Amino acid sequence: MIMTIARKEFTEMFRDGRVRSGGLALLLLVGGSLLYGMRQTQQLATERDTARQLTRAHWVSQPAKNPHSAAHYGIYAFKPRATLATLDDGVDPYVGVTTWLEAHKQNEFQFRPAQDATSAQRFGTLTAATTLQLLVPLLIILLGFAVFAGEREQGTLRQVLSLGVKPSVLGAGKALGVAGVLSLVLIPAAVLGVIAITGMPDGGSDLVRLGVMIVSYIAYFVAWLALTLAISAFASTARVSLAASLGVWMLVCILAPRLMTDVVRSVHPTPSASAFAAAMKRDLDGGFDGHATGAQREKLFEEAVLKKYGVDSLSQLPVSFAGLSLHEGERHGDEVFDKHYGALWTTFAEQERVRELAAVVSPVLAMRSLSMALAGTDVAQHLHFQNAAEQYRRSLMTAMNGEMTMKSKGQDFDYKADPSTWSNVAPFDYEAPSAAWVLQRHTPAMLFLGVWAAGAVLLAGWSIGRMTP
Amino acid sequence: MLQATALSKSYGEKVALQPLSLTVKGGEVFCLLGANGAGKTTTINLFLDFIPRSGGSATVNGLDVTQHSLETKRLLAYIPEQVNLYRNLTGLENLTYFQQLSGQAPMPRTALLALCDRVGLPSGAPDKRIATYSKGMRQKVGIAIAIARNARALLLDEPTSGLDPQASNEFSAVLSDLRADGVAILMATHDLFRAKETGTRIGIMKHGAMVDEFAAADIGHADLEQLYLRHMRN
Repeated sequence: MIMTIARKEFTEMFRDGRVRSGGLALLLLVGGSLLYGMRQTQQLATERDTARQLTRAHWVSQPAKNPHSAAHYGIYAFKPRATLATLDDGVDPYVGVTTWLEAHKQNEFQFRPAQDATSAQRFGTLTAATTLQLLVPLLIILLGFAVFAGEREQGTLRQVLSLGVKPSVLGAGKALGVAGVLSLVLIPAAVLGVIAITGMPDGGSDLVRLGVMIVSYIAYFVAWLALTLAISAFASTARVSLAASLGVWMLVCILAPRLMTDVVRSVHPTPSASAFAAAMKRDLDGGFDGHATGAQREKLFEEAVLKKYGVDSLSQLPVSFAGLSLHEGERHGDEVFDKHYGALWTTFAEQERVRELAAVVSPVLAMRSLSMALAGTDVAQHLHFQNAAEQYRRSLMTAMNGEMTMKSKGQDFDYKADPSTWSNVAPFDYEAPSAAWVLQRHTPAMLFLGVWAAGAVLLAGWSIGRMTP
Repeated sequence: MLQATALSKSYGEKVALQPLSLTVKGGEVFCLLGANGAGKTTTINLFLDFIPRSGGSATVNGLDVTQHSLETKRLLAYIPEQVNLYRNLTGLENLTYFQQLSGQAPMPRTALLALCDRVGLPSGAPDKRIATYSKGMRQKVGIAIAIARNARALLLDEPTSGLDPQASNEFSAVLSDLRADGVAILMATHDLFRAKETGTRIGIMKHGAMVDEFAAADIGHADLEQLYLRHMRN
């Protein structure tokens, strides 16, 4: 009987021209955003590979020169574009894709697409994720708002309820009918998505993430469908039902995320870029207490080195004081970076936690953070890369300063290292976190999404159960 | 088949139905006459359990309509003044849908077409969308649904109002058939002539109370009108 109801809903909706054109428009949007995302991913991957090879080639082909000059010459680290970023580019447009690894500094990331964006793009770029998170719920509302309220208005609900159909059967049949029409849009989109992902180089490695992503989006849609039916069963007319559903959509999809951004910012504020840089510079220049000058600290270090090697003057040292001093400079720098970036990243993590908790008020927040995380484009995974790049920079500096310390003498900056030194440095190979790493971190988001879906289904059951003609 | 015992309904202070008792056996047509607001539709809604009753009881085939809300509805067929159907579906699709929703095995197309023919739907109409149907045709689909569902009792709420005399006559003919098959029929109507023609018992309602009840055979057309008007004037 459920199938009879579902088939009738499907037939009726399919015969409605508005539904057909709405569905077609959405299919075009999803398809378009997928194709665009695919092209973007392939283009970025190619550009990144070229740039990576180029920076490595530049590094390796350095002539004989002082290791510290080489350290200043530096290497660029390029963040790999995750294959699933095709579906959801997350924070990628805002956090940049590359950083310069050089001596003395932990640099900010550069090349943020958002910086080059036109004002129209301030509304956000069209990705499969925004389409799925914001527009599919709209289509669900469009398909489902009249399911009960419209029949109530037309009087057919009276007729149906006079037959003695179980409310649960009626609800399930209606839901299935809407889902059937929806799947005309979503199944081709999903097939297109899976082909797009698996067709890309090493796209197969992301199948677990893709699988979890698909299941999460299904749960998200179930929540919306159940919510729409619950409202429709309750509303006196189709118009009231549509207005109420759209109101909920506005609140949940548009207002809540923006409100959340402000709440997160006021609960866990981050320093402005200039304040952050100034505080870091103060510590770098003056030590943590802010009073010892560079000259004073240098003097203390010099005394310590002389004592350690048991000599009276720097010229008697068996190693290069310049190398030791550079190393000491890096060590101090690293401490300062760890303190400041550490604090900033802790704030980011706390912000992320608030955002996830906020999923209580809006399923779109849970879906958004989960989707980004699975796509590999969330803040945590950006920081994971940033951290790997910084560790690589530190090992590079240690290698360069070590070369300087062992092979040179005293204060001498004239020492030139052999070009083979450069190729002895291993290239920067980054491995993105595993799916398990991501899933473990986002258990709350998955839980919230599940609770939303289950809660909405229960609400729909209750609302349909007490439905009057 | 249909039985009301001291069945009543009030909305706060306002009494919609004073304690009403009536019985409609299989093969009987009980016609409820009365002005708008006399409590006829309230009585039907109470049998359908669409509104909660305030007192008394209503049973269908001995089952209480509130305690066995779904089971009793499966024995009933309800035809309102305006049979509302799905506009984007054809007459046959509507018929199939409502028949299957009653939990019965699907009927073959030929049987459904024969049924459409029996209730007087023009040939060719069953495959047209409801949006193109006249009111009379929709009422016929409504009665076809009742027959297809094999209902044991019919609740009719002014089913012939607004129908032309021929359609009204055809409708009554089908009702007589059903009565002969042992179906219990409770019909609210304004049509005194129809009530006398098809009814076996007639009740006159006023201000939520049954003010008179008698066998249709015991009264003539002219007398029925006189009696009705006298009750209304008092």
